Amino acid sequence: MTKQEIITKVNEVFEESFEIEKEKLQPQMNIFEDLGLDSLDIVDLVVALQEKFGIKIRDDERIRAIRSLGDIYQFTMTMQNKAK
Amino acid sequence: MEKYNDIVVGSGISGLTMALLLGLNGHKVLLIEKNPRIGGSLTRFFKQGVPFDKGFHFTGGLYKNGVLYDMLTVLGIHKYIQPIYLSHEKANCFMFESEQKLFEIPSGINNLRKKLKGYFPDEGLAIDRYFDMVQKVCAQTVSIDLREISQSPDVLDEDFISLDDVLNKLTDNRLLKGLLSAYSMLYGVKPSEISFANHSSACFNLYESIARIKGGGEGFIKAFRKNFSELDIQITCNSYLTDFIEIHDKHVGRFVLNTGEEIASDRCIFTIHPKKILKILPQKYLSKAFVNRISAFESSAGFFSVGGIWDTGDSVDNFKPTMVSLCPSTNINRLLDPGYTGTPPLIIMKNLETVKGKSCQIINAFELSFPEHVSAWKDSKPGKRPSGYLAYKQQRISNITKRIIQFYPEYKNSFKVVNAASVLTYRDYLHSPDGSAYGIKQKIGQYNLFGKLPLRNLYVAGQSSLMPGLLGSMLSSFILGRSIIGKDKYNQFIGQRLCN
Repeated sequence: MTKQEIITKVNEVFEESFEIEKEKLQPQMNIFEDLGLDSLDIVDLVVALQEKFGIKIRDDERIRAIRSLGDIYQFTMTMQNKAK
Repeated sequence: MEKYNDIVVGSGISGLTMALLLGLNGHKVLLIEKNPRIGGSLTRFFKQGVPFDKGFHFTGGLYKNGVLYDMLTVLGIHKYIQPIYLSHEKANCFMFESEQKLFEIPSGINNLRKKLKGYFPDEGLAIDRYFDMVQKVCAQTVSIDLREISQSPDVLDEDFISLDDVLNKLTDNRLLKGLLSAYSMLYGVKPSEISFANHSSACFNLYESIARIKGGGEGFIKAFRKNFSELDIQITCNSYLTDFIEIHDKHVGRFVLNTGEEIASDRCIFTIHPKKILKILPQKYLSKAFVNRISAFESSAGFFSVGGIWDTGDSVDNFKPTMVSLCPSTNINRLLDPGYTGTPPLIIMKNLETVKGKSCQIINAFELSFPEHVSAWKDSKPGKRPSGYLAYKQQRISNITKRIIQFYPEYKNSFKVVNAASVLTYRDYLHSPDGSAYGIKQKIGQYNLFGKLPLRNLYVAGQSSLMPGLLGSMLSSFILGRSIIGKDKYNQFIGQRLCN
């Protein structure tokens, strides 16, 4: 999967599962302050990403460090490569 | 309008524990139950004078200073609970019918290691490694100090490896693998789908000891009721929440009951099935991600049960309770598949109960079953089931009775069926969404629903949150209770209660 494909799929998760407008989905956006998620939405986000990418994500430090949408692109890419 | 600190929804063991824990910490609590009586699966009912347990039959972990013992001590109900241990020889057996081999399961992990090495002399290393792993996991989970619990404990590697994978690495012996994974019937998840950590936590206490409780789950209900009466805990039965109003900043201000009554409360804690919670939460506050996550939870296994009486006229003075599990094959994954159409595993329990003032031998048999088995009649209600369902039920009663008599031929002429219940019966009498016995199927790597909900003064605990069964349900309430009460106050409280 290319970087662009991953970005598109992550954005789909935000559009479909959190009903956030496409225009807002920029890498620098803070998922809490700009996109309106709160810390408790993270579990739902992780489960939705698992489903979308068919990967298993362990609850670890890296998830807790996520702030921006760009962090999620990066994290998903790492997980995707690991799953190969 | 009444104002509470906490509303607790559901009065099974988790709700009772939560209500009492908060009440003991000075909270004003309202406990809401949909049924006419509190207790959920702990309740009993009588048919022809014979008492039957709806869901709670035995527990592990009652040994001194175990986590269950500690929780009961903290709640002040330990002194009211009278265990009847299944500790004599042959009290707990597994029969693998395909091989015609019977295994006795003694109490205590060390006794069990020894016994299994006797049965499987070439597998000593695998047996030791298995129990070493179970004990290692439990040292970090169920053997913990109640003061050290938290909602985000350290993640173990064993959380991400299945029971099946562990056993396949340890041994090629099908019979040993079957025996070590057969307890999965007691949490209702396939060995290939349960994490080794969850399996270990659920089984550890059963390995140490298995006990029935005098008076069944009613023993717990009575003990809780007694303690409630001394605290600021109100109970309302035939009640459920219908609406959440005055919602500001994702916080609910008032809660509406089915009677129309409005109640103010700082918090509301659900201890009911996650899918039931999803149905009553106001949809506009839920993200699709949350809804999808909860909707995707699958059901654990359930049972078709038959209960009856053995009237032999013999003296029951030397009677001892026993449990035997009949496994038609060593392939437990196959037996726990809803699509499996062969003979299901059957657990037969013999107990002594008082019937019309007289001690009587009672048998309860539980054949593994799934919501899928009764899906054709899922829209029917009790008392109004179609004839196809009644024929299904009759067929299963007849098969189970035959198997009981086959195992205990001496009771051929003295066994009388008094009660039978299908997965649909359990669904309708226990208000479970699907009739499964252990809530949602707790699969490896799954994020269960536990703690805060999307409306932030609503919370969830219960057997689907942490670990199936009595102990897991109670533990989930202690863990959530700790964050509601506050860590320091909670620790001080636990310290005081355990010292007394």
